[in-house]
Amino acid sequence: MSDLSYESATGRLEAIIRRLDSGEAGLRETLDLVREGRTLVEFCASELEAVGQGLEELRLDELVARLEPAAPTSQAA
Amino acid sequence: MAEPRSLLPPGIPGSELPGPFGVGEYAARLRERLRGFARVQLVGEAVNCRTSRARVFFELRDADGALPCAMWRTELEALGLPEGAPADGAQVVVAGGCDFYPGSRTASPHFSFAVADLRVAGEGDLLAQVERLRRRLAAEGLFAPQKELPRPLLPRTIGVVTGEGGKAGDDVIAGLRRRGWGGRLVWAHAPVQDRHAAPRITRAVQELAALEAVELVIVARGGGSLADLMCFCDETLCRTVALLRVPVIASVGHHTDRTLIDDVAAVSCSTPTHAAEAAVPLHCGEARGALHRAARSLDRHGRRAVLERARALARLSRAPAEHVARHRSRLHQQTRELRAAAVRRVAGERRLTQGRAAALDRQAAAAAGARGVARRAALDGLALALEAHDPERVVRRGYAVVDDRAGTIVTSAAEARRAGAVRLLFRDDAVEATIDRRDTP
Repeated sequence: MSDLSYESATGRLEAIIRRLDSGEAGLRETLDLVREGRTLVEFCASELEAVGQGLEELRLDELVARLEPAAPTSQAA
Repeated sequence: MAEPRSLLPPGIPGSELPGPFGVGEYAARLRERLRGFARVQLVGEAVNCRTSRARVFFELRDADGALPCAMWRTELEALGLPEGAPADGAQVVVAGGCDFYPGSRTASPHFSFAVADLRVAGEGDLLAQVERLRRRLAAEGLFAPQKELPRPLLPRTIGVVTGEGGKAGDDVIAGLRRRGWGGRLVWAHAPVQDRHAAPRITRAVQELAALEAVELVIVARGGGSLADLMCFCDETLCRTVALLRVPVIASVGHHTDRTLIDDVAAVSCSTPTHAAEAAVPLHCGEARGALHRAARSLDRHGRRAVLERARALARLSRAPAEHVARHRSRLHQQTRELRAAAVRRVAGERRLTQGRAAALDRQAAAAAGARGVARRAALDGLALALEAHDPERVVRRGYAVVDDRAGTIVTSAAEARRAGAVRLLFRDDAVEATIDRRDTP
């Protein structure tokens, strides 16, 4: 799931729903597709949630400063 | 200038200036005056070249100013210049003088420097340099790499290179809000106004792209003159952008002056707002709606898949019992119909038999008639005759009957002797007797 992107997830989700809508999937396949689809929906929902918290504005140096403190700590350890 | 015509309205009270004069008359006089200016040669960059049916128009520019120029096509073509000359950005020398079209009630006035002769001075100008660099970068294939990069549909972090406090930044935010996007925006401010800004822009782009979190970079500027935009034609900047790992969306161009960063970037947009919308192709609100519909569709399919099959199984499991019940019911029905049919048949037969019996009775009665009476009388006669011969009747009259005690009637003395022991049957009882003299002569 780590290398899954929103576009690939939605693409796969659309393919799953097309397959289910076709009515050609058997019981086992249907249940497998529904299970996979629910996982994809959760992933997409989390991605949308990540960009649904309100615009956060940072200057480049602020972001760099936010990312940097981890380095000295790990060196000290 | 002639005296003001009497039909014209009076002038501004208190003004010491002459007039009012008719504007057309004044414009005509202005044309005469401008045409009277000394005819000269001018040098500058030809930009914004365009051709109409009869004339060629361009602007002659240098760092201090510009003039609109016009030349008859026939005169330009007579010069035998290469095809397309003068090209935008070409350094040219023109010869001619001022001219003015005074316009009319329906046409706008127009000033131009009427060019009678022209010489292309070389390609050492701004746009010609840009064109050469453009061709070189294109030949090296540097326009392609950015366009081949996958662009995220829903980036979480977007970097923006723009001038600090400029309107372009506000436009980027407006575009992102229009998409319903609320992720992280990282500003890398840099001067974006002249040729010397290029190194700062290059560094800002590089620093943003170096951050793992940044998925996309927007380079935005609200537009400007060609000289202002030259920093976005810088070779180092363009080569850097072309080889970045993250896609760059450029919005620095001008509708007439396309910069080189527009060519090397993944996407080139006309405004910062459009750049923001290109950075987030997805409308987040619509995406949430679509996701909700997808989730409901999945639930529906999941439930239907199980419920429909469960119902089918239930139907199958009930089927044998229902089959038996159906047959039992049919048998009961058939039994009832059979019984009813039997009852109807018996009743019918009975009615038929009774009918026949009655008919027979009627026939018998009819047949008996007078013959029956005669037979009855004969029968009565015979009965009387028979009764006359009845031995019991003789006994009742006082006679006795003799038998051998075994029931055989003794009708003679000889039989009596042979029997020896006899029985006398009287009217009221039987008496046994013995024959004393058996031997008789």
